Amino acid sequence: MRNQGFNWHDPILWAQGLGVSVGVFAASMILGTVIGIFIALCRVYKVPVVAPVLLVISEFLKNSPVLVQLFLVFFGVPVLLQVNITPAEAAIFTLTGNTAAFIAVIAISAIDAIDRGQLEAARSFGHSERSILRKIIAPQALVVAMPALIGLAVNQLQVTSLISAIGVIDLTKVGQILNQRTWQPFIVWTIIGVTYFILSRLLAAAGGRLETRLRRHMDWAGL
Amino acid sequence: MIEIDNLHKKFGDTEVLKGVSLSIAPGEVVSILGASGSGKSTLMRCMNGLAGLNGGSLLIDGLDVSKPRELREIRKRCATVFQHFNLYPHLSVLDNITLAPMDVLGRKKAEVEAEAYALLKQVGLADRADAYPGQLSGGQKQRIGICRALAMQPRYLLLDEVTSALDPEMTGEVLDVLAALARSGTTMIFVTHEIAFAREISSRIVFLDDGVVRADMPTDRFFAEDGGYGDERIARFLAKMRNK
Repeated sequence: MRNQGFNWHDPILWAQGLGVSVGVFAASMILGTVIGIFIALCRVYKVPVVAPVLLVISEFLKNSPVLVQLFLVFFGVPVLLQVNITPAEAAIFTLTGNTAAFIAVIAISAIDAIDRGQLEAARSFGHSERSILRKIIAPQALVVAMPALIGLAVNQLQVTSLISAIGVIDLTKVGQILNQRTWQPFIVWTIIGVTYFILSRLLAAAGGRLETRLRRHMDWAGL
Repeated sequence: MIEIDNLHKKFGDTEVLKGVSLSIAPGEVVSILGASGSGKSTLMRCMNGLAGLNGGSLLIDGLDVSKPRELREIRKRCATVFQHFNLYPHLSVLDNITLAPMDVLGRKKAEVEAEAYALLKQVGLADRADAYPGQLSGGQKQRIGICRALAMQPRYLLLDEVTSALDPEMTGEVLDVLAALARSGTTMIFVTHEIAFAREISSRIVFLDDGVVRADMPTDRFFAEDGGYGDERIARFLAKMRNK
């Protein structure tokens, strides 16, 4: 397999790696958002016991390298719990936790940004806390959070490249495979890098369009 | 009927209300006057349950504000207009007005919207139903705030310094709306600094001083030389407000 040129199978390998990277990214982003919002709500509504425990966990996730977290989950957890875990499972699990920690921070500050007077008004009119959250807090917090969420998504996409270190055949791992076989590092890593770049730009553009749509009615809101 | 008995409210070590007793009958228009820090806004916040009580009782139509289940019922009957409007910036004017009647009272959208348009017409903002709060002037926002409260068809309308955040030229448009309401028989409780206006529209004045009711009398009496004016604290307050 050494020092061979590119062949017709390589684009398929590239596409598979791309699929894995996008899949892990999408799964961890979606799950992480759900869990992150849950953490944020526990903190905002000061749920006893749960809130402080989640705080400690999310602080750890924010303040330690993702690569170390991946090693801990992939190598450490199976030993501790005597279970088998595939590289892909470890990757999604770790990135979900990491994404959730950052989503929680973004959600909490977005909720904090909403003027308290409105919430008092809504309470005085007898709205339940649930409907205040759904009808008053969430729509405004989403707009406030949008730029930070887009930034986080683009960043988390780059972070997925780390999962190649535990053997997931993602785009970066495909790059390593092709590089070892072809000895054409400049061409291989340019292609891989440009692929990430295009994905990131597409992601940012989609996020930007969503933000514009959400903001359409909010230009006067002073948010 | 609003019945307040020996109400106490503390913020930390500071006692803001030191045993306020007061009752307000349906149909009354009562102005609560007093210097800044006398506890008038706090009293209002106790009435709509935004501030809890530290002692005494506050009943509205026999319902106790300190019981969550009863407070929910109270909030359907009392609507508040706030000093800083507190409109929902992400909702159109129409949606600001219809949100609570639909969500809290469970009323039908078509019905509530028709009423909202009628209210908007009443306050002279019929053409701004689709606007957003950020596009309106302060006076317009406050008129929307009044519509939002009235859409709940409240038995009691609580008005917390509703003109204090407005420019003088916008105060008039809001006061005109309120004067019309006072004549219509809605029970209104004003916390205000607008002495002349309070004198014009209210049937009764309550003067709070340092957390207690210093005077509670019909408006005519309050402004009479041998009535409220006879009280040296009140005379000083009124003189100061007049010079402003």
